[in-house]
Amino acid sequence: MPARLARTAACLAALASAACVGSKPTIYQWNGYEQAIYEHEKAPQDREAYVASLWTVIQTCRQNGTRIPPGVQAEYGYALYEEGRAAESVPWFEAEAREWPESRLLMQKMVRNAQLRGAMQPAGPGTTGPAGAVGGKP
Amino acid sequence: MIRRPLLAAGLAALAGCAGPKPVRDYTKLQSAQVRSILVVPPVSKAVDVNAPIWFLTAIPVPLAERGYYVFPVTLVKRVLEDDGLADAGMVHAADPARLASIFGADAVLYVTIERWDAQYILLDTTVTVAATYVLRDGRTGEALWRGGGYAMKNSGGGGGNGGLAQLVAQMVVSAVMKAAPDYMPLARTANAIAFQYPGMGFPAGPYHPQHGHDWAGVPPGVASVPAEKWEPASATTVVKREPPPEHEQQR
Repeated sequence: MPARLARTAACLAALASAACVGSKPTIYQWNGYEQAIYEHEKAPQDREAYVASLWTVIQTCRQNGTRIPPGVQAEYGYALYEEGRAAESVPWFEAEAREWPESRLLMQKMVRNAQLRGAMQPAGPGTTGPAGAVGGKP
Repeated sequence: MIRRPLLAAGLAALAGCAGPKPVRDYTKLQSAQVRSILVVPPVSKAVDVNAPIWFLTAIPVPLAERGYYVFPVTLVKRVLEDDGLADAGMVHAADPARLASIFGADAVLYVTIERWDAQYILLDTTVTVAATYVLRDGRTGEALWRGGGYAMKNSGGGGGNGGLAQLVAQMVVSAVMKAAPDYMPLARTANAIAFQYPGMGFPAGPYHPQHGHDWAGVPPGVASVPAEKWEPASATTVVKREPPPEHEQQR
């Protein structure tokens, strides 16, 4: 029962917040992005879970034909980079820069970083391992 | 079962805007033509060491929903750390123009967590999250916008005639919350209030369908949003309203 109460309270808080700012339609479909980055900060060592949850965010946007929100593809690229999959991260940084021109300067730097690191890695792109199933190209 | 968990969401008075003006002066913000916002890791007055980073994760969604490009917050945090700026206080003390030029941002958002705590009085648990915000111009460092958000949740208390069963239930709830109060719904509420409240939050940015057509174009003092509308709207869920924290009233 306590869990249920806590959930009820959380729901009410969400309702109250929605009521405060009016019931405006949102611009983007976030598909759990906020929860994904929160879980990542709570447990940064669970990198594969983070990669997988961001992948779900992106795939859901694609399936629904909605624009991938700002920052999502960059975070996904960085999640791959942090996992040691530098070469795979490059197209995601490029996609962010293409779809959100405001990010261009930072994304150019990220691409350069990833290429440097990719060049230093003896192994190719990490397509093996449990997270190898996701990663795809933008 | 507790029928009505007390819940309150207060609207913090904004710095430099304590008067009766329902619409703020957005001249500076609008002339800066901000398209992109760099959110740097928050500084915190709270004891909980997790507060800054957890709060940070609740910022990009409500901010991007105002129609601005928001730089990816966890990527930015890691890049700053790699550049030797792991300490949020150092980042806040750095030159905004320099920070903005590193990332190519039009403006930098600085967040200070004012409250992130739980208070336990008898069977009552009150969880509070409050923050203040300053947006600075990425070229001049000038403050373009200031905001505040405040949310609190009160569990237990109310009613009083539920008998022993209710009392036990309240004790269980208080014990659970004492173990791990969930601050995140409150963090979301505080951010939503600060960024999205009409006449006080961010005007619709370039990616918002109402860009150029919302309340921000109204000159200060001309009420497009009646003061009475500021009251959080839902009477069924918001049963208790708290005054803003002391530091807000002083400004």
